[in-house]
Amino acid sequence: MSDQIGTDYLFVLVFLLAGVAFALVPILLAFLITPRGVGLRKLTSYESGMTPIGQAWIQFGVSYYLFALVFLAFDVDVLYLFPVLVAYGGFAWRDLVGLLVFVGILSLAVVYAWCKGVFEW
Amino acid sequence: MAWLSNIPATVWEGLRAFLGPLALTMIVGLLLTLGWVQVNALFLVWLERKVAGHIQLRIGPKEVGPFGLLQTLVDGVKLLGKELITPAPVSWPLFVLSPILVFAPVLVSFVVIPFGPGTQIRDLNVGLMLIFAFGGLGVLAILMGGWASNNKYALLGAIRSVAQNVAYEIPLLLSAMSVVIMAGSLSFQAIVQAQEGLWYVFCQPVAALLYLVGATAETNRAPFDIPEAESELVAGFHTEYSGMRFALFFLAEYTNMFIVASVATALFFGGWRGPFWPGPWWFLLKVYLLIFVVIWVRWTFPRLRFDQLMNFAWKYMIPIAVLNLMVTAVVLKIVR
Repeated sequence: MSDQIGTDYLFVLVFLLAGVAFALVPILLAFLITPRGVGLRKLTSYESGMTPIGQAWIQFGVSYYLFALVFLAFDVDVLYLFPVLVAYGGFAWRDLVGLLVFVGILSLAVVYAWCKGVFEW
Repeated sequence: MAWLSNIPATVWEGLRAFLGPLALTMIVGLLLTLGWVQVNALFLVWLERKVAGHIQLRIGPKEVGPFGLLQTLVDGVKLLGKELITPAPVSWPLFVLSPILVFAPVLVSFVVIPFGPGTQIRDLNVGLMLIFAFGGLGVLAILMGGWASNNKYALLGAIRSVAQNVAYEIPLLLSAMSVVIMAGSLSFQAIVQAQEGLWYVFCQPVAALLYLVGATAETNRAPFDIPEAESELVAGFHTEYSGMRFALFFLAEYTNMFIVASVATALFFGGWRGPFWPGPWWFLLKVYLLIFVVIWVRWTFPRLRFDQLMNFAWKYMIPIAVLNLMVTAVVLKIVR
């Protein structure tokens, strides 16, 4: 059994490495054959043709971080549900109630965010 | 002449004896996948431009090759000859890594795509989860590339992309789960086998719709293409990428379209099932019909505003997806 799992993930590993190699080939090829121009302006950031004003790495309010927090709650929920659903065939009614309560409590995250006005812009 | 037609079989048997069946599957699968990724991207870019052309009462590409089919190939050659510019202010390790990281996971998904009964490179028992896990890496690459570019447009595009992908991943997973709960397995072969009599799109129409909308958003396509909204953000996260690096982002995007359409086909549209023809033909037909619908949607609907996009996911899609899953669980318990 563990042998088969090992083979399964060997396939995944080989394909991942092949993906990296396959992505490297055109970049190396382009690196070898493309012309290279010189000029200071060419290496500046693109800002619609104007001289760039400052950097992009500054502090500013990213209003999506609240969404990220709600997402975390849900993603854990989802990760938990995958094995549960595969084993669902052997569930009793009591287990189903447990599942409903668990998902219900986690869904309160969205209700809470909704009441707190995260979805108002 | 009989010995001539025997050559492929002889070569196959010889290789099989030499390498062993496992290594042979791996090598042949890998080569076919690499070829398929390129042909698929060439064809889809052409299809996209052709469909766009006809929807806008134009002809689209027509000069290079029959019906302009070779246009994308020529564009690819042009991109190969373009300079790889690395702007001075970038964080270069991340900047260089990002196009590679966006492409590599895409290839892994092909391991588990079920083209036919047994026509699958490897039937992992966690196939569906593997695809979602590696699909999630794409967001990481986009954030990496957007931040490392040190460009305002790229950074904003990347942040939007992450917020959107994160929001739409949940309904996507939840709708896939309502299929998993019915099939009782994450393996694609088992899921398609379970649709023996009835395709899941008829038992789970809500989940199928949620999946298609979520998949459109996950692949950053209109009407959900805010991350690369060209009228406000130039090109979003790949503003600073040129030449082959840019081409890799595009290759990954079009391959991702193929993958999400394959997953939709396997989960909801009966996979390889169909009369007369062998399985893989039906599978590919269904996949490309779905992709055609996605392209059609892109050229028909305008882009959503960002708050509408986020609210649509959180206020409507996620509650509906959760309810759908729970109702499925209860109904299954009653029926069985």
